[in-house]
Amino acid sequence: MHKCNCEQPLVPIMVEVIDIKEETPDVKSFFVKNIDSNGVPFNIEPGKLAMVSHVPVGEGMFSCTWQEGDEYLQFAIKNVGLLTGELHQIEVGQKLGVRGPYGNGFPVQDCKGKNMLFIGGGIGLAPLRSFIKYCFKNRADYGKIDILYGSRSYADLCFKEELFELWLQEKDTRVHVTIDNPEEGWGGHVGFVPAYLEEINPATENTIAVVCGPPIMIKFVLQALEKMGFSDEQVITTLEMRMKCGIGKCGRCNIGSEYVCLDGPVYYLNQLKQLPPEW
Amino acid sequence: MKEITNKIKETATRLFKEGQVDIFMAWTKGDLPFQTKPYFARSVDDVDNIIFDEYSIHNLSGTLLKFRDGQEKIGIVVKGCDSRGVVRILEDNQFQRDRLYIVGVCCPGMKDPLVAMKNYSGFNNKNSAEGIAAKCLNCTTPNPVIYDEIIGEEQPPHLQGERFEQVNALENMSYDERYKFWADTFSTCIRCYACRQVCPACNCRTCIFDEMKPQWVGRENNSTDNMMYHLVKAYHMAGRCIECGECERVCPVNIPLMLINRKLVKDVNELFGSYEAGMKYEEGAKPALSVYNVNDPDNFL
Amino acid sequence: MKILSKTRLENVFNKLNETAEVFVPMQRGEQSGFYPWQTFAAGSDKLWLEALNVYLPPKNVVFPQTERMYNIKQEGQDVKIDETYEDSKSRVIFGARACDVKGITCMDDVFLTRGYEDSFYKARRQATTIIANACYAPGIACFCSAMGVKYVDPEGADIIIRDIGDGYVWETITEKGEMLTARIADLLEEREVTLPEPKPFQQDVNYDGVAEKLKGMFEHPLWDKLSQTCQNCGICTYVCPSCYCFDIQVKMYGNEGYRFRCWDSCMYEEYTREAGGGNPRPASKERFRNRFLHKLEFFKERYGHPLCTGCGRCTVVCPAGISIVKIIDAVKEADTDA
Repeated sequence: MHKCNCEQPLVPIMVEVIDIKEETPDVKSFFVKNIDSNGVPFNIEPGKLAMVSHVPVGEGMFSCTWQEGDEYLQFAIKNVGLLTGELHQIEVGQKLGVRGPYGNGFPVQDCKGKNMLFIGGGIGLAPLRSFIKYCFKNRADYGKIDILYGSRSYADLCFKEELFELWLQEKDTRVHVTIDNPEEGWGGHVGFVPAYLEEINPATENTIAVVCGPPIMIKFVLQALEKMGFSDEQVITTLEMRMKCGIGKCGRCNIGSEYVCLDGPVYYLNQLKQLPPEW
Repeated sequence: MKEITNKIKETATRLFKEGQVDIFMAWTKGDLPFQTKPYFARSVDDVDNIIFDEYSIHNLSGTLLKFRDGQEKIGIVVKGCDSRGVVRILEDNQFQRDRLYIVGVCCPGMKDPLVAMKNYSGFNNKNSAEGIAAKCLNCTTPNPVIYDEIIGEEQPPHLQGERFEQVNALENMSYDERYKFWADTFSTCIRCYACRQVCPACNCRTCIFDEMKPQWVGRENNSTDNMMYHLVKAYHMAGRCIECGECERVCPVNIPLMLINRKLVKDVNELFGSYEAGMKYEEGAKPALSVYNVNDPDNFL
Repeated sequence: MKILSKTRLENVFNKLNETAEVFVPMQRGEQSGFYPWQTFAAGSDKLWLEALNVYLPPKNVVFPQTERMYNIKQEGQDVKIDETYEDSKSRVIFGARACDVKGITCMDDVFLTRGYEDSFYKARRQATTIIANACYAPGIACFCSAMGVKYVDPEGADIIIRDIGDGYVWETITEKGEMLTARIADLLEEREVTLPEPKPFQQDVNYDGVAEKLKGMFEHPLWDKLSQTCQNCGICTYVCPSCYCFDIQVKMYGNEGYRFRCWDSCMYEEYTREAGGGNPRPASKERFRNRFLHKLEFFKERYGHPLCTGCGRCTVVCPAGISIVKIIDAVKEADTDA
C-alpha cells in the first residue's frame, strides 16, 4: 500500500526499520517498510532520491539503493555527519520518516539495448546499485555489463557479497574491483579507479558509462572516458548537493537555474556542460 | 580631507610602484554625495578612485580576514578605531604583521552613510541626526595606535561626557527592568549576522553559530535563540572588543550592541584591572581573559 | 469612484481586525515594517501609509522567518507526527507597495508551481488578502519599473488603493478583494476625484538583455571585483521582499519537539556546506555571484521574470555600499569578448 504525501510534501511518512546491515565499518544499509508491515511508502525508480529522517535529529537526502517490490526500500548510508552519525546508532524497530521520491532518476529506458559501464568509488556504488540491479532484473534489455568499483581498502568495499559472488554469476557481466593501496590477503587490483579504467579500456561502441563517486574521482574518470573516446552523450553521472526541501523550493541545491533535487540528480555529461561549473 | 585623500593616493601610488603591496584598502565614492564605501585598489590605475572624506567610516580591518590565507601584501588605511581592529587581528594571530603596510589617519570623527541613506531613502521616518556618527561620539581613540606612516594632525578624543553613562543607567535598572529591556531589544533581531560579519574580533574560522555538530544555538527567530545568540557573542567579546562600534552601526534593526559590549569593557576593567583591548600591538600579547593570573577575581564563579 | 477617507482608516482596520489579522505599515521604535494592527500602540507606534516604503517587507506574513511545520513525539523507537501546523488564519496586508506585492508573487511561483505545492505556504497565502498602495513618487533608491513592476498599477493585489491626499481611491480587483470590500462597504464613500500624476524615477536602470548576457558571464572577472568588499552578512537577503531561501531544522525538548523552517541566506558559508564537509560555494565570491545570478538570471530562466523587484532596500542597507543597480550597470558595460 502506498501512502502519498503529495498534499504535504514536506511532512514525512513514518516507516519502520526492519533490518540493518553493516556494509563496511562506516556504511550501513537500512531496510525500511511501512509501519503496518503492509508494503513500502512509495515506489522509487533507480537513481531517485528520498529524504530520510531520523525525525528528532534531522533529515538528509539519499539516493535509494534499492526497492525490493513491496518488501522494502534500502538505503546504504555512510557515517559522515550529524544525522548519519545518529542513524548509525539506531537498531531494528526504529521508526524513521521518509518522503519522496524526488528527482529524475537514471534513464533506464534510454539505456535499453546498450552495453552498460558502471564506474563507482566508495559510497558512490550505492546509487549505481539501484541501476545495476535493475539491469539484472531486466537482463534481456541490456547488453554487456561492466562494473568497475574501487574503494580505499578491502574493508571499505560496499556490497561485497554481490561484488564477489552474485553479480559474477550474471550473464555477460564483468566486475572489476580495485583498492587504493596494497593489503595483505588482497589478490585483486590495486590502484585508483581512473587508472584502472584506462587499463581495462572498455569498448565505447554502443556503451553508456554511469559514474558516481567522490568529486575528485568523477573528475578524473570523466577525463579518462573522454580520452577513450566516449562522447558526452554516452556519459551519465549523478550529483550530490546539500538539500533541505527536496522539492525545488529551499534554494540551496541549485546549479544555475537547475535544482538538483528536482531536475537532477542524474545528468548526461552534455547536459552538465551546459550548466555553470559549480558541481 | 582633500589633503588627506591626496596623501593617501600618493602613498598608494608609491607602494604599488615599489611593489610593496598587491592590494590597497581604502574607500571610494558611490553615486550619492554621502555614499562612501570600501574600495580595494589592485594597481596604480585604481588609485585615482580612492577617497577619504567625512563618510569614510567603514572599518576595513575586518575585511583583512578575507585575505588571511593568501600571500598578498596589503596596504590598509586605518583611523584610530580601525587600527585597534588591526591590533585585534594581529594579536589573535590571524594575520602576519609583515604582510601589512598600515597607513594611519588621525580621525576628526565621521558621519554615517547608512544613516544618511536611511534618511533620504524614504524607508524610515525617524530621521537620525546626520552630524558626527553615534559611534564616533563615544570615541576615545581617534588616532591610530599602529601604523607604518601617519597622516593628519593628532585629534582629541571625540567622547564628550561620561564614557559609561549608558552602562551606568543600565546597571541602575532593576533586574526585571533590565531583563525586559534586553528581551524587547533582542526580539527585533532578524539574525542577519551583520554584527558578526563586520567585527574584526569575530575572526574564528568556524563560528560557533555555524557549528552543526553540535548545534549550540538554535536557528529560530524567537526570544530564546536570539538572546542566546547575542549573549554568546557578547561573552566572546569580553576583553576583546575594540569599540569600533561597527556592529551597532550596521545593524539594520538598530540594536544597541555597543551598550552590551561597553558593559563588558567596564566589567573587565573593574575585575581585571585597567585593560583596553587592542591599544598596542606587542607580539604575543593576549587580551585580559586569555591569560591566567592567580590574582584574577573568582567571586563571580 | 469608491473612496476611503483617511479619517476612517482606523475604523477599517478595526472592522477587518474582527475576522483577520491586519498587517499595516508602521514606524515602530527604530524600525519600520508591517505589524499587526492589534499590536498597535498609539504612543510609540506610528501608522505610516504615506511612507515611500517601510524597511521590512511584508513577506513574513505569508512566509514567516520561523514557521513550525509539525510536532514530533518520541517514545523509545516509536516516533509520531500527529499534528501539522498549516496556518490558514485570515490575514490582510494593508498598503503594500507594488514591489513588495511582486515579491510575494515571486514566492507564489516558487512555492506553488513546478511540480510541488508547499502546503505551509499555500495555507497562509490562500488566507491572505493583499491591499496594495499604488506609488506615485518613486524614491532615490527605487527602480521597480526597470524590473517589470507596475508601480502605479500593482499586479497581484486583491485591492488597490491610491492616495489622493485626504483619502484613498479604493479599487477592488479580485474575488477575494470583493469579499473584503463587502465587509467595509459602509465605510466607503462615492465621489469623483482626479488621480495624481506619477512622478518619474530618480535613477536610470536598464535591465534589458542583462539576463541573457549573464548566461555567458559565470566566469567573468567582474565577479572578483564586485564581490571583494562584500561582508557576507545576510542583511540584503532578509530585507529583500522576494528572497525565499529557507532551512529546515528540528527542536527537541526531551522526547517532544517540532520541526520548523526558517529563513536562510545564500550569503552564509553553512548554507551549501555538505555533511561530508565539501562546499560548492566555499568563498565570498561564489556566494555573491550566486545571489546576483539567481536574482538577475537563474530565476528569470526558470520563471520568466527576475527575482529582483527594484524596491532598492538592499542598496540602502548594505554596510559595504554594494548595489544591485551598479551590478546591472557593470554587467551591461562588461566586455565579454575575451
